[in-house]
Amino acid sequence: MAKDIQVGTTFKHERTCTKYQPIYYAGGSGDFNPIHIDDEVGRKAGLGGVILQGLCTFAWLAETVTEFQQDPGKIRKIRARFSRPVVIGDTLTYEAKVTGIEGGKFHAEVVAKNQKGEEVLKGAALEVSL
Amino acid sequence: MAIDPKYVGRTYGPYKYEVGLEKLREFAYSVAGGAPSTGFTGGPPPGLNPLLWDEEAAKKGPYGTVIAFPTFPVTFAIKPFGAAIGDKDLGVNVLMLVHGEQEFELFDVIRPGDVMTTTGKISKIYGKGGMDFLVVETESKNQTGKLVVKGVWTAVIRQK
Repeated sequence: MAKDIQVGTTFKHERTCTKYQPIYYAGGSGDFNPIHIDDEVGRKAGLGGVILQGLCTFAWLAETVTEFQQDPGKIRKIRARFSRPVVIGDTLTYEAKVTGIEGGKFHAEVVAKNQKGEEVLKGAALEVSL
Repeated sequence: MAIDPKYVGRTYGPYKYEVGLEKLREFAYSVAGGAPSTGFTGGPPPGLNPLLWDEEAAKKGPYGTVIAFPTFPVTFAIKPFGAAIGDKDLGVNVLMLVHGEQEFELFDVIRPGDVMTTTGKISKIYGKGGMDFLVVETESKNQTGKLVVKGVWTAVIRQK
């Protein structure tokens, strides 16, 4: 199902960090840093409790376009800075906008915010095959 | 204490990783909010793209096999980054470290049975705003020698 992608095309994605998400992502990815699975460690680090792995937030950034295209094999480049921790109960909204098309690929910039409107990623961008 | 920039150029690896179908599925399930288990619990989270887990659907799809979720390289291409962070010569204080930035460039999909070989090097060390930045660039090739993924991994360490 081909999507009509043009400069200015927008698409959205949403994910919630459930209580078990850092544990599931630890199991899936191998990142068992205690800051993600031990509330006491999170508290001692001044974070209030566990925080979600940044690379899970990054995976959800990828999901923004894999869901839109219904094809997980088309991302050519993906990057982001981790600007704010994500904690249990946070709902993240990813808003993507196509900013350019060339050479059979499109570029999209993505804004990722939590439910308070705070940006959890900065400079999030994707380069994707059409 | 800042990290000595003389370590720019230090290399780590090669590290070998064998890609398995069940691990690809588990990773995809976990990203989609499900337990990373294919043998113990029920199936994939509802709505998960079949190309990520369903062999029959994937056979008829554009890639011919189940493929990895695009950020799957975090499971194996991180080795040089971890090695640099743990390198006693650099003296990184991991208690002060956060993962600051991540980038992947993907040249091909990753399939069950692929054997990935990853090498990495410290590409940048610099200080800014009371923080140390340690940047490691990795390259992962599959068993045919093809470059499949390049990674740029940035750690930010608060100076003390």
